[in-house]
Order: sequence, then structure tokens, then C-alpha cells
Amino acid sequence: MTATLPPPETTRRRAPARPAASRRGGHAPPGAGGPVSPKKLAGEQLAVAGGQLTAGLGNLLFSLVAARVLAPGAFADLTAFLALYLLIHVPAGSLSAGSALAPELAARMRRRVLAIGGAAGLALAVLSVPLAMALDLSPVLLLAAAAAAPTAGLIALDRGRLYGLGRHARAVGSLLAEPAVRLALGVALAAVLGAAGGAIAIVVAGWAALAVAHLPQTRTAPAGEAPREGLRPGATIAAFALLALIQNQDVLLANAILGDGEAARFAVLSTIGGAAAFATTTIPLMLLPRAGRDALRIAIVLAGLLGLAAVLVVAVSPHALVGAVFGARYEAVGGAVVPYVHAMAMLGVARVLVAHACAARPPAAMLAMLGAVALGHVGLVLAIGDDATGVAYATLTATTALTAGSAAIALDWSPAPMLARARAFATRPDVLLVATLAAAALVIRLLATRGIWLDEATSVKQAKMPVGAMLHELGATDVHPPLHHIVLWLTVRVFGTGELAVRLPSMVAMVALIPLMYVAGRDIFDRRAGYAAAALATVAPFTVWYAQEARMYALFMLFALIAAWYQVRIIRDGGARNWIVYAASAVALIYTQYFGLLFVGAQQLVFAAAMIARRGDRYRLRAWAVAWGTTLPLMALAVIPLMGFALGQFEANEAAGKGFEQPSQTGGGVAAATQAPGAYEALTNAAWAVTGYHSDGTMTSLAALWPLLMLLALVLLGRGRSWSTGALATAAILPAVALFGLGQLKPFVFEVRYFIGAVPLVLLLIGRAVTSWPVRRVPTLLACTVAIGALAAGLADQQFNGSNPRVYDFKGALTQLEGRAKPGDIVVYAPDYIDTVVGYYGDGKLDARPLEKGVPKPRKGHRVFVLASFLDKKPYREQAEKAVKQLDRRYRLVNEQHYPQIRVWEFR
Amino acid sequence: MTPTHVTDTRLRAPAWSAAHRSPGRRVAMRLMLCAMVPLAVVYFAWLLAPERVGHPALYALLIVAELFNAVQALGFWWTCSGERSRPPLRGAESAPGVDVMIPVYDEPVSIVEPTVAAAVAMTGARHTVHLCDDGDNPDMERMAARHGARYITRSEHAGAKAGNLNHALALTEQPYVLVLDCDHVPEPHFLEATLGHLADERVAFVQTPQYYANADTGDVAAAAWSQQALFFGPIARGKDGHDAMFCCGTNVVFRREALEQVGGFPQDSVTEDFELSVRLHEHGWRSRYVAEVLARGLGPEDMASYVSQQQRWARGCLSSLGPVLRSKLPLRVKLHYALSASYFLTGFTVLAYMAFPVVRILTGAQPLASTTADQFLAHFAPYFGLALLGVTFMGGGAYTFKAFALQTASFWIHVQAGIYTLLGRRGTFVVTPKEGAVERQPRAVWPALAAVAVLVGAAAFGLLRDRDPSTLNNVAFAALHVTVLLAGAWPALRLPSPAPAPERAPRALPPASREQEAAAAAARRRREREPLPA
Repeated sequence: MTATLPPPETTRRRAPARPAASRRGGHAPPGAGGPVSPKKLAGEQLAVAGGQLTAGLGNLLFSLVAARVLAPGAFADLTAFLALYLLIHVPAGSLSAGSALAPELAARMRRRVLAIGGAAGLALAVLSVPLAMALDLSPVLLLAAAAAAPTAGLIALDRGRLYGLGRHARAVGSLLAEPAVRLALGVALAAVLGAAGGAIAIVVAGWAALAVAHLPQTRTAPAGEAPREGLRPGATIAAFALLALIQNQDVLLANAILGDGEAARFAVLSTIGGAAAFATTTIPLMLLPRAGRDALRIAIVLAGLLGLAAVLVVAVSPHALVGAVFGARYEAVGGAVVPYVHAMAMLGVARVLVAHACAARPPAAMLAMLGAVALGHVGLVLAIGDDATGVAYATLTATTALTAGSAAIALDWSPAPMLARARAFATRPDVLLVATLAAAALVIRLLATRGIWLDEATSVKQAKMPVGAMLHELGATDVHPPLHHIVLWLTVRVFGTGELAVRLPSMVAMVALIPLMYVAGRDIFDRRAGYAAAALATVAPFTVWYAQEARMYALFMLFALIAAWYQVRIIRDGGARNWIVYAASAVALIYTQYFGLLFVGAQQLVFAAAMIARRGDRYRLRAWAVAWGTTLPLMALAVIPLMGFALGQFEANEAAGKGFEQPSQTGGGVAAATQAPGAYEALTNAAWAVTGYHSDGTMTSLAALWPLLMLLALVLLGRGRSWSTGALATAAILPAVALFGLGQLKPFVFEVRYFIGAVPLVLLLIGRAVTSWPVRRVPTLLACTVAIGALAAGLADQQFNGSNPRVYDFKGALTQLEGRAKPGDIVVYAPDYIDTVVGYYGDGKLDARPLEKGVPKPRKGHRVFVLASFLDKKPYREQAEKAVKQLDRRYRLVNEQHYPQIRVWEFR
Repeated sequence: MTPTHVTDTRLRAPAWSAAHRSPGRRVAMRLMLCAMVPLAVVYFAWLLAPERVGHPALYALLIVAELFNAVQALGFWWTCSGERSRPPLRGAESAPGVDVMIPVYDEPVSIVEPTVAAAVAMTGARHTVHLCDDGDNPDMERMAARHGARYITRSEHAGAKAGNLNHALALTEQPYVLVLDCDHVPEPHFLEATLGHLADERVAFVQTPQYYANADTGDVAAAAWSQQALFFGPIARGKDGHDAMFCCGTNVVFRREALEQVGGFPQDSVTEDFELSVRLHEHGWRSRYVAEVLARGLGPEDMASYVSQQQRWARGCLSSLGPVLRSKLPLRVKLHYALSASYFLTGFTVLAYMAFPVVRILTGAQPLASTTADQFLAHFAPYFGLALLGVTFMGGGAYTFKAFALQTASFWIHVQAGIYTLLGRRGTFVVTPKEGAVERQPRAVWPALAAVAVLVGAAAFGLLRDRDPSTLNNVAFAALHVTVLLAGAWPALRLPSPAPAPERAPRALPPASREQEAAAAAARRRREREPLPA
């Protein structure tokens, strides 16, 4: 019997054949059995990852306690020991990959690994003194590391064997043993012996984990089966060793090249990032014995989700997190936590891809790529690692390259077909034309620029806060939903607070609008309409103006276009994908601007009308009702949290006596926002939306041409009766009409910015009109040229006419002040709410204070500057005039400057 | 079969439906009417306030024009609110006798032949086709003989089309009479679809749509058809719903008894159909409108043809206005006739509207005072917008800007007809040409061009003198009128497009036409055996 029956553990061994079929989508068997379902694969991954995560949390807890218990230097030493420990264990841990791939490897290699570990430990012990000097560590720590050396390879071999055999419970037990011993023994020893005590406990914990992994009933027979063909455990071990090197070399390098303070800060980063990387360690090991498309997909999703969760957790309030966990002295490094954890999250995904590649194909390319990335990582750390943040970004760059490279190799990606497709795509006439338009749009948006405006400065100030504080600030003082602020928050973290940086989301949205207009126009109408719409959007004044504003209006236009486009697709084709994209863009629209609700509401009316029109077709009606009836509640569910947020804002503003009022930037008498809007205000806002912002005189003249709207109404007779046109027109017009009605109660809400989502839709409709109404080629070209020319003329007037009442040249005024003001000079400004823009341009450079606090009395020989804006409003005008009179009595007015919407007086 | 037959647009299936049977439509229209009335009241209450009076004469002119258009608009809405899409109705009688009359004057045989062939091939009745030729054309006689139709001519050509028909009436005796213009090709089931409605002894005639199959052959034909589609769509359905549909001269089946009671077709009018309808309704007869295209005809293809047709209609209807108002018709029916006849006064209002900006720019006088454009827009725009929306909604998009522009550019026809009517000058019946000219026709639109010149001159003068918002506003009004006038007159100012490419037309007769051919041949053989009644 014994001769005929295999040992129990071999019955669970994976099938030897490398599953070509499984690479095509099948599943490799877990042992000798048949395929494993994706559900079971996911369950196993989740169970082991949960154990790993718990173990990681335990280890983190130990580090946190140690950080509290130990002095900074000692903690840095302990962290360095941990890094050394990891440096021994993690490359040795790469043996896990080999034994997971081929469990019999554990039995064959155990003696050799023990001998190597013992020799390494001995060598480390012998060289402990010179190494301690080189690494600026205590020799005791190196001796402890030497004691840990024999365990490293053995733990790795046995854990890998457990993964390979499917003994997941035992593997989890071994994982949990380590933090348990560290916490039980290490805290006490660290308190007594300092870093050395902690290190000793860590070594003991390693031996305990080995004992659990090596318990009887799980060991592979030492002899018997030869390695199966096609497996490359050696190369797999090498690949995982390189991964371990990439993961850990930064902390060693940081410890070597940075001072104690920065090294400790990076140690904090490494600890947090290590937790993120640690959480995903087991996923590739679990994948190795079951490489296949489903297993890969599950592993990538799990690694990605764990990484994303880690990033989101630390992104909520990184400074506060670091301060609370490691102490206030490390708070400064909070800004680098998100990028570093992001780097570790990508490393987790890269490990999965490397594991898949090792199991599926020859390893030469993968090993070469890993070696190159490891070297590049070292170079980057040396090049830009001036501080902890620099090292973190070097690691982020390296792991990004690692993920991309491993994905290319693991997924057998070859650039040639993609390049060929890209070349074919890029040389298509329509792509070339649209790309040219997008490039022109980018150039226009970059060249025709202006300074930061008050609202933008407020947004930037909010975005500089930790995300939690920013959301709290928004909820307490603002009137807008948070999506754009979150985007801006991320932008500020990555690109800083420069003018271009903070406007980047808007810029990207308004350049992306060009190809989207083309694609939407082509899809809804035809290719010619798409071209015309894209060309119109390139020069449309509002798409340029709001590309240059760090506010939510560019995103509003973008999401409105996508939502409207997909609504048309739904009405025309139905389809789950269209419903999903529509719902996502509609929800994003509402999270971008509360008035997006009107837009989405108008779209629901169109849906209702379309449903009524389909009432004769019961089958389609039922399908429609199910899709709409599912999507609408989901959208409502997604928006419910925002409603709570909005209610909080309303209550906070009401309590502050402001309601939802806010300063208007109308800036002209044509459409004053202080009285109920009338027909002229409606005309002016409509003219703004299409032709851009102009001087009051120009707007008065434009508004006088209203009879031409009668002509337009007549020209529309009998046209635009398709569902597509109707849906676009409804979404464009109804929100404006609703706001006009609301404006009778609250005049300030009838403001073109609040229905700016209509702009791309109107441009689409104009594009359709100019390409379909004329029936011959020449009149069509003429109509397109006239329409584009009219918008371009409007754009030129908007951007370069100094009388544009929407231009507030804070930049010009404050830059000039910075040049003129000397230490001791004082700048007072009115109204007080322009403090954010004064802060943006003058922060740290000007002694600026609000005029509301009174007229200052500078020391003799120094000057007072009065900067006033919003002088079309009586209270601010009077406030400024009064201050100027007071100063005029005591000082001499030496200069007076006028900037668009701003005046500056200089007294000496 | 000649090439003309192969590319004849009348042989294509109709691309338009006269019926609209959406259940919620009538409710929607009545709701719109409920919205329209208060908007009109608000606008006129504001407009008629004493402080609005600017220049008294101009103000009076504006009020008259606005009231006239408001009455027309409300009349349109009222008409449409009663619309009924009456379906075809097969008669109980197995094979009623019908005389099919096709009056001809000087039209080409190629135009008339498909009509005769299709008329002969009609089913569902014992019918005889009479080709009533006032042109004494021997080719026409041969063609009639070829198709088995009876050829009727007369020695004295008095009374134009009405006289021609009356002459044929005297020579025939079937209880029903179908009148087809010579360019209207009937469907085979024309009689089956209409005779059922004559089972009601009170019904004098059943009208069907006058469909222009050549609407895609040019701008004039398209615009003319657009106007027709609005009439034979919601307006005709509405008139039918109010039992006030009038006869339109073709594609109509009469009860002989009713015709004889009123003395046949009136020969003293250029719109004999309209006058005949008034007389029939006065005698207590009723009318029906079947909302289905049962014949496919040709509309005017060039501006001169259109002008000729419109002049005849305008003069005929305006000359009928007095008799209509004096008639003993039921009030509702009388209102419908009055609305239809007075429509041809619209040109006077266009003239007034065009005059206002010119007078304002040149003299500074304007009709309104004590108001701002903001106030004017607040009161006028909703009324105007809903009126246009109503036309679009009720017309199902059939009424287009080109149709509106053509109608506006023809303002002078209404003015001319109004003056002639006032002067008591009688019009003459001019047959609408059935084939378009291939040349520019600026003379057909010279009054519109003169108006354009005046408007452009005034606008240029105003801009040179001043560019304040008030002047710009009036220049914009002038630009509005100029654009509309030029759009309307444009088809007369450019060379007509070449004829449709052969591939756009069917390369062979559709199956229905082949069936028509076969049926015509069978009918011809049958008639050769059976002598026609005397």
C-alpha cells in the first residue's frame, strides 16, 4: 500500500505541467485535483492576505511602541536593524517563491540553506565591528542579525512550501507567530536594553515563526520526486531577491547618506510603506503554484485594492497620521507618506506580475528588467535623495518603472503591435486634425492667461490643508461640493501651488474637451459636426477662460458633455455600459457643482419623455424601465452623502448669517446680480456663454441685437426634432431657465457659471447647425468659418480687452507692490475677503493686513499701501475712500495705480 | 413608357403621413392652447396700456398688425385643438358609380398620362375616367383612348376649370364625382378609401391631401410643400374635427346631388373650390377629410409658378371674405372660413413690421413709448416663443424656415390681392405651371428685393449716423427682415439645380405602377367592349 499510495502531502501538490491552457484562461489545479474556481482562488488569497495583514499590523504595532519607547537615534538604529533583518530575510524570503513554485525544493535545499544561513551568520558576527562602523550601527545589533541569519532561508523555504501545498492555515499561523513574540517579548526588552533588546526579540520571533512553519505533518519527503520540467525555482528566487532589494535598499541608502533627523523621518516612511508592501507579500506566493489568467486577475485586483486602501488611509490626513502614530517630531514628513505608500502599493502589484511571469515564461527578460530597476533605483536615490521626501520620490519613480516593466513582460506585451496600431491611429486624418486642434487649444490656453482670481486663491488655500481639514473647512465656510477640491488637493500635493499647477485640472479638462467634442459630435450626428464642434470648442471663449481658473467650472463642462453624450447613446442604443458611464458622469457632475442637479434633472425629464415615446413597444419599455429604475436609485444613493454635506454647509452658512450668498463677480451693470434677473440679464448671460466676457459697453450693444434671436428662432422652425438634438437642447436650456426662475427669489443664482455645463452642448448644436443646414460644400465651409471666426473674435476681446469686468488683476497689483514695498512698509487691503489672494501672491513677502482692522501707523520713513477692489460695491468703496482720506491727512500720497478692478494708493 | 414616366417623382411612395393618431397629442395641444391664451393676454394687456403709445399712427398700425396675427395664431391653435385623423372608410355599396374628372388645359401629355393611367386602374367602384380637355389637344385625345378614358372637350371654353367641370357634369350621371387635377396620380384604392364616408347622406364631399411629390426637386417646391403639409396636416385635421373642411379643388369626391343643388362649380371665382365649399356648407351639407395620401401631385417648381398660384389663391380667398362674413353659415364654420380667407391679409402686417425699423432709423418715430427692450422682451418673448413652438409641435416639423421665408417674401402678393379686391378688379384663372423654369426669375420677387434695398439702405444710414443700442436694435430688426426676405427670394435669384440624377429616381416602375399598367390595360379592353353612357 505504501508503495502505491503517495504521501499525504503529495496528493495536494500542484500538477507539474505548466498550464498553457491555464494561461489562456483556465485554472491550474491546486494539487493533483482539477481546476480551482475563481471564487475559491479569491477566498484563499483573502485568507492568507488577511493573516499577513494581521501580522503586519502586529509588527507595526511593535514599531509604534518602539518609537515611543526609544529615543530617536535608538529608534533609527532599531529601524536600521529591522531593515538589515529584512535585508537578510527578504532575499532569503525569495526562497519562498521557489518552494511555492516547487514544494519539493524545501526538502532538497533545507540542509544547504541552513549551512548557508549559518555561514552568513558567522560571517556577520565576525565582521560585526567594521560593518557596524560602516553602517553607523551598534555591533550588538549586527550580532543579533547574525543570530537571525540561519532562520531566514528556512522560514522562507517552509512558508513557500506551505503555499505550494495549499496548507494555508499553517502558513498563516507562522505569519502570526512573529508579531506575537515581538510584542510579548520585544517591548519589555526594548524598554530595558534599548534598540538591542528590541533586536533580540525580533530574532527570537523569527525562530518561533520557523518552528510553526516546520511543525510535523507538513514536511515534504526529503527524497523521491525529481523537480518537474519547466519549473525555474532558481530564477524565481533570484527575481524575488531583486524585488526585495528594490523594496529595502532605499532605507539602507537613506541611513547612509542622510543625517540622523532625515534618516529617522525616512525610517518613519519606510515603516508605513513597509506595512503597505507587507500586506501584499503573500499574494504572489499564492499565485505561483496556480498561475493562470483567473489567478493573475484575482491576485492583481487584491494587490491593487490593498495598495489603494493603504494610499487612501494615509491620504486622509498624512501629517496628522504621522504625528499621532510616530509623534509630532515626525509630522514634517507627512507630505511624503502618500507617494511612498503609493510606491509600495505598486511594488505589491509588480510582485504579482513578476510571480506570474516566473511561472509562465523564461525569466531572462524579467531578471534583466529587475536588475536595471534596482540599479536605477540606487542612482535615483543618490541623485535626488537630498531628504526623506526625495528618497521617497526616487522609490516612487523606481516602482512605477518596475510595475510598467513587469506588466509588459508578464502579460507578454510587445511594443511592436501597439506601436503599429498607434502609428496607424495617429496617421488617420481625423486623428491628426483633432490632435492639431487639441494642440492649438493647449497653446491658446497657455498663452492667453491671467492672474489668480479671488475664488481660486480661496480654493488653493483650502487645498493646501490636510484633506480632512479641507473637507471640514468646505463644510463650514464654502458653498460648493468637494470633488474639484479633492482633485485640486491631489494636484497641489504633486505639482505644488504655482499658477499653472493649480489650474492644471481645469487645463487638462478643457484640452480633453476638444477630442471629446469631436468624438461626441461624430457619434451623435456625423463626422463633420464633430469637426466643427471640436474647432468651435478650441476657440470658444468660456473653454479658454475656465481652463485658466482653478475652480470647478471646467470639470462641470467636461462632465456635462459626457453625461449628455451618453444620454443620447442610451436613448439611441440602450446598453449597460452607456448607463454606467452616464450615471458616473452625472454623479460626478453633481459632486462638482450643486447646480449640476438641475442638469441631471433636465436629463431625467428627457428620459421620461423617451420612455413615454416607447410605450408602444412593451419589450423595449420594460428593458428601459428596468435600466432607468436601477440607475436612478443608484445615482440617488451616490448623491445622498453629498446632500448631507450640502445641508451642513447651508446650516453653517445660515448660522454665520450668510446663507448661500457670496460675492458676485458679475462686475458690470449689464447683468447686475443684485436684482431679480430680467430678459436683458437672460440675454447677457446667454451672450456670455457663447461669446465670452466683454466690457459693459460691448455687452449692451450685443444685447441690443436681440432681434437676431428671433431670426434664430425662426430658422429653427421645423428643425432639430431628433431625440439627440432634443436631449442636448433640453439639457442646455432647462437648467438656465430654472436658474432664471430661481433668480427671481435669489438674484445671484442666475449666473452663467452655474449653468456653464450648457456651453459644450450649445457648441455641439452649433457645430451640427453649421454643417447640416447649408446643403452645399461652400456655404457649409463659409458657415463654419463665420462661426469659428465669431467665437475667436469674442475670445480675443475677452482676453485682451482691459475693460472686461471679470478681470481682477490682483497679480499685477500685488507683484508691483512686492517690488516697491520694503521691510517696515505696510499693505492694507479691502474688502477683507480678498485675504486669500493677497496671501497667495504676497505670503511672506508683504506685511499685509485687512483695512477692517483699522488704518495702520507705520514708523517714520516707511510707507502705507492701500489696495482696494470690488469698488463697484458701495460699502467697500466707502471703506477705501475713508481710509485714503485718513491717510491723506497724515501722510503724503506719492503714487496711485489703477489695475483692472483694483486700485492701489501709496502713502509715505 | 417614356423616360418621363421612369423618373416621375409621383410614382414614388409618399414620404409624408397626413394622419397623427397619438392619443396624448390632442391633450397636449389643448394644454398649449391654455398656456397660449394667458401669454397673449399678458402681452396685449401690456401692449395696450395707454402709456405705451409712442407715435400714434405707428402705434395704431402695430396694434392692428399684432391683433391680426394674434387672431390668426389663436385661430390656428383653436383649429388644431380639434384635430381628428379620419381613417379611410370602405363603402357598404358593392360597386358605386363614380365619374372621375380630370380637367386639362394646356399641360403636357407626359404630365397627364400617369394620372389618367392610375385613375383608370382605380378599384372599388364602377368608375369612368373623363379627361376634360379645354386645350383641344389631339395628343391628349389619343392618350385618353390609349388608356380607355373618355375624352371630353367643348366648343366654348368659358368659366375656366369650373366651366370645364360643369360641362363634364352635364355629360355624366354617376352619383359620385371625383375631381383630380391632371398632375395628381391617384392610388388604386382612392375610391375604396373615400366612398365609405359618403354613406352619410349629409356629406357633400370628401377631401384628401394634396401631396406634392416633387418637394425634393427644388427650394420653391420644398417650401411650397412645407406650407401645404402644415395645411393638410394639423389644419385640415382640425377643420375636419370642427366639421369645417373646405374643398381644395383636387383629390376630392363629391356627391352629385350636392353639386347639383348648389348649381355646380361656381364660375365667377378664381377659387371655385373655396366658393363651392361655402355654398355647400350654407345649404347644410357636411364635409369630410381623410388624412391619408391618396394621390401624388406636383407643386410649383419655380418662383413664377408659385407667385401665380399664390396670386390666384389670395385674390380668390380675399374676394370671398365678404361673402363669407355675410353668409348664413354656422358660427364655427364661418369662423373657419373667415380665418382661412383673411390669412391672405398677412402680407400687410409684414409690410408694417418692415416699416417700423426704417421709420425709426430715418425719423426717430417709433410705435411704443415708456418702455424698455427688457420690458418688451419680458412680455413678448414668451408669447412669440410659444407660438413658434406650437407651429413646430402641431406641424410635426413640417413647417420650415424656408416655407416661412417664402411666405414672407410673398407679402406683396397679399398686398396686391388686397388692393385689387378693394378696387373690385376681377382676377383670371391661371393654371399653375407643372414644370419648373430653368432660368433666374428676379421679376417674380422684385417687390421683396425692393424692400430689401430699403431696409439695407436704412440700416446703413443708421449705422453711419449712430451706433447706440437703440439704433443697433433697429438695425438688427432690419437685418432680421432682410435675411428672411432674401431667404425667401433666393430661389428666384439663382439658377435652378439640375434635375435629379437618374439614380435618385426609381429605375423602373414600382410594383404598384406595374399593377396600374396592367389594370389600365384591362380597363381599356373592357371599355372597348362596353360603350360609355351618353
